[in-house]
Amino acid sequence: MNGNTSITATVAHLLTPAERQHWKLAWLSTVDHKRIGVLYMLTGLVFFVVAGVESLVIRLQLAVPNNNLVSPDTYNWMFTMHGTTMIFLVAMPVLFGIMNYILPLQIGARDMAFPRLNALGVWLVPFGGILLHFSFLAGGPPAVGWFAYTPLSEAPYSSQLGVDYWAISLLVLGIGSVSAGINFIVTVLTQRAPGMTLRRLPLFTWMIFMNSFLVILALPILNAGLVMLLIDRLLNGRFFLPFGGGSAIMWQHIFWAFGHPEVYIVAIPAFAILSEVIPVFSRKPIFGHEFVAASTVVIVFLSLLVWAHHMFTVGLGRAVDLFFVAASVLIAVPTGVKLFNWSATMVGGRVRFTTAMLFCVTALLQFLIGGLTGISHATAPLDWQTKNSYYLVAHFHNIFVGLIVFAILGAIYYWFPKMSGRMLSERLGKWVFWLMTIGFNLTFMIQHVLGLAGMPRRTFTYPDLPGWTWMNMVSTIGAFFMAAGSIVFVWDLVSSLFRGKPAGDNPWNAWTLEWATTSPPPHENFDALPPIRSRRPLWDYMNPDRPDPVVPVGGAIDTFRPEKNKAGVMTFIISELGFFGVLILAYLFYNATLKSGPGWQQLDIAKTTIFSVCLFASSFTIWRSEVALLANRRGKMKAWLAATIVLGGIFIVGQGLEYWSLYQNGVTVGLDLFATTFFTLTGFHGLHVSFGLLALLVVLGVAFSRAYKSEDLPALGAVGYYWHFVDVVWVFVFSIVYLWPLLR
Amino acid sequence: MTTQQFLTSAWTWNSAALIATAAALIAYVWAFSMNRRIVYLLAGVAVFMLTLVSPLNALAAGYLFSAHMLQHILLLLIVPALLLMSLPSWVSLGSRSWFVANPFIGWISGVGAMWLWHARLLCNAAVSSQLVNALQIASLLLLGAIFWRQILAPREEERMSPPAAALYLFSACVACSILGILITFSPVSVCPIYAQSLSDPMGILYLVQSNWGITPDKDQQIGGLLMWVPMCFVYLSAIIAQLARWFSDPVVSAPVTDKPL
Repeated sequence: MNGNTSITATVAHLLTPAERQHWKLAWLSTVDHKRIGVLYMLTGLVFFVVAGVESLVIRLQLAVPNNNLVSPDTYNWMFTMHGTTMIFLVAMPVLFGIMNYILPLQIGARDMAFPRLNALGVWLVPFGGILLHFSFLAGGPPAVGWFAYTPLSEAPYSSQLGVDYWAISLLVLGIGSVSAGINFIVTVLTQRAPGMTLRRLPLFTWMIFMNSFLVILALPILNAGLVMLLIDRLLNGRFFLPFGGGSAIMWQHIFWAFGHPEVYIVAIPAFAILSEVIPVFSRKPIFGHEFVAASTVVIVFLSLLVWAHHMFTVGLGRAVDLFFVAASVLIAVPTGVKLFNWSATMVGGRVRFTTAMLFCVTALLQFLIGGLTGISHATAPLDWQTKNSYYLVAHFHNIFVGLIVFAILGAIYYWFPKMSGRMLSERLGKWVFWLMTIGFNLTFMIQHVLGLAGMPRRTFTYPDLPGWTWMNMVSTIGAFFMAAGSIVFVWDLVSSLFRGKPAGDNPWNAWTLEWATTSPPPHENFDALPPIRSRRPLWDYMNPDRPDPVVPVGGAIDTFRPEKNKAGVMTFIISELGFFGVLILAYLFYNATLKSGPGWQQLDIAKTTIFSVCLFASSFTIWRSEVALLANRRGKMKAWLAATIVLGGIFIVGQGLEYWSLYQNGVTVGLDLFATTFFTLTGFHGLHVSFGLLALLVVLGVAFSRAYKSEDLPALGAVGYYWHFVDVVWVFVFSIVYLWPLLR
Repeated sequence: MTTQQFLTSAWTWNSAALIATAAALIAYVWAFSMNRRIVYLLAGVAVFMLTLVSPLNALAAGYLFSAHMLQHILLLLIVPALLLMSLPSWVSLGSRSWFVANPFIGWISGVGAMWLWHARLLCNAAVSSQLVNALQIASLLLLGAIFWRQILAPREEERMSPPAAALYLFSACVACSILGILITFSPVSVCPIYAQSLSDPMGILYLVQSNWGITPDKDQQIGGLLMWVPMCFVYLSAIIAQLARWFSDPVVSAPVTDKPL
């Protein structure tokens, strides 16, 4: 086969003849989950190169003591951008890409539940990434670390635009991630093939399903924190500025209430990959499926509960430390369960060390080390000593690189044949594996020692102390091993895409449904599906004489399949919990004591009560509108819908009047903490009401423009859910802001 | 007074609790005769008695908000759960009553009991008034039982399905965590009667505040943390039990079919 024909053959794989006429659009405008998955991964790869180069700059600067290759400022930019990029623009997009490609295939679906939302999610990644990197042209990128601790990240201390770009870009990426999380949850709930009950979900899909709940619960907490930071920076708010009465520690709480779950948001997909790859190359079903599945739920639960262990060095007090030491150590139990299950899967299996398996087994070992050092950090006194040293850097790179990047590489060696129809080269793969493994351990194992020897992190250089110099040099050399491994990996991807061995449908003799179709799968994914009676339908199909035991159907919930639009809005409402939760808690915290000066006394409680009654009444009118539609009384439905819009409009106008009168009295966002929290909380509620009004107007417009049929009921029902939700939020906001002061 | 003296001397006699316990035991044996599940009842009444007569009660009576919180958790979450678990599997708990069978009411009962009794007025009153205190104990037991009925009803068909139960428990944990977080970080006293502790009937104020180092603001922090962290572990344990139920073969299993769902 010469080069030209193989390129033609590859193009034939990637595009249908009709699409070749407009091949750019075929990818840019795609709503196919497989192409979106690939776009996610390619975007991640681009940013991996960017953040990788940044890490090499860091390592070159640290290669020798008293180095002045880069200035301290540049060094701060580098480690901030490296961390932010690697988490939000590499790990999350690449993992979301793998999930996007594989999850619908594993459940026998044609596509995700909301393909257009999916496309929005993927395009928000380059948008967010460009926003973040645009800061290079706008006065310099952020130099505040990936967690942007206040007050350093506040306007008086970081006056350039870097932090603003950082916050806006993370907000964009956070919205994209939440939309992806909603999509995964609704896809699993509504798009499963016949017979694919919830208890028959393959482990990978089950774990992504659970992980998506973590995404929609945790990311909005960060989004709330980011808008608070932006209000501080751009509107002179006072949330996190100590001299304005704000609490800098609150930012840390908000950040880590997101940040700790975030670790698991990228770790659980890695666990999911390990749970898929290790059994296939051990030729055994996973040992203790139920334990791996259930321990995932426990990890999701615990990860939301233990963020304060990131803050032991802040000085939260012994009582707080004690509780979070105990809670954090407990996470070792469900993760330990997983390690034992993966190990037990290999025991007695016919283990084949393909490149994918090598990466996954190494990920398991690196995770063991990272997990053990993690437990050591859960111990507050040890944490005080090592938190700001290279010991911590070594710990979290064991998780982020040792576990997550290695699992991603394993996943790509495992699923690339399905995505491209061609095998990656095992020979080059072994090179990638050894370069990465040796490079990783050279770079980071030694940093445990460096940290214990006292080398602090986030410093741009260091004195020539005994031992530090050669250990740093080893670390830098290791980083270049990894860079070489990455280059070989990209070369392997490109060359195999054109010249790789044809893969066939199921090169690894695997068991889940993605292998039951061609490689790459056709646009509609499947022509026909094998019957699904267990967690390994393809195994049952290929081995009819010794199938897996049938997993019985466990009642109605096992076959639960809600209406797609309503499920989508309900999931979205759950995701708003974290956002409004943070804003409400901040309001309560900062207004716990009544302060003198302009404040809630300026609020017109009587007027607002009237407007609130209008808003609450609109919940009734929209319900009547649904009832009318159900009874096919279209005139009535439109009338009730219009009444809802009028009532909602009255509320918004009322809120506008109140803002105007406050403004007349000199109460602006930056006045004091009451004003900052009041405008933020009621303003974001008002924004939600306005979006609801827009959605209602769209429904009303549709109802007037064509015959609105009862089949369209879900659309009105979904908007109705959202409308009830903004009303319920207002019940809380109104009680806290307007009624609570009357009781005190 | 030393810690040891306190721990040996601070036991209080509570005839109402004793009568309630005896009545519960007699009623149980009369209704269900002796069976193995009585172990749960014994454990339940043991926790109940310990909550109300041990030094914990002495501390909760005006000294430590955190001790009061521990009592609160035991009476709301542990005792009712054990009592429900002691019932034989044929007992039906109001499946026809809309009120008891509604998961929303159950959730509001469990979470509402936490929020309501920590309103400043009620929290203070529960310490200063015997009557309100008794009312509080009774309401916690009752509301806790309504909460747990969704999970631990003796009849399988009266319980929620495991995934729904997990959501029910998880959201309850979130709702209680929010209150716990508020109490932990609140700059003002949630239950000022503990912060004042002017009267010192047992003469242990020095022991508590100086020897143990539990000052009023630290006390409130511990109270909030108890609600935030360990309380969620009670819910987590229940979630793990639900997962075990979910992944074990279901009692109600439909015939296996290849037909569309």
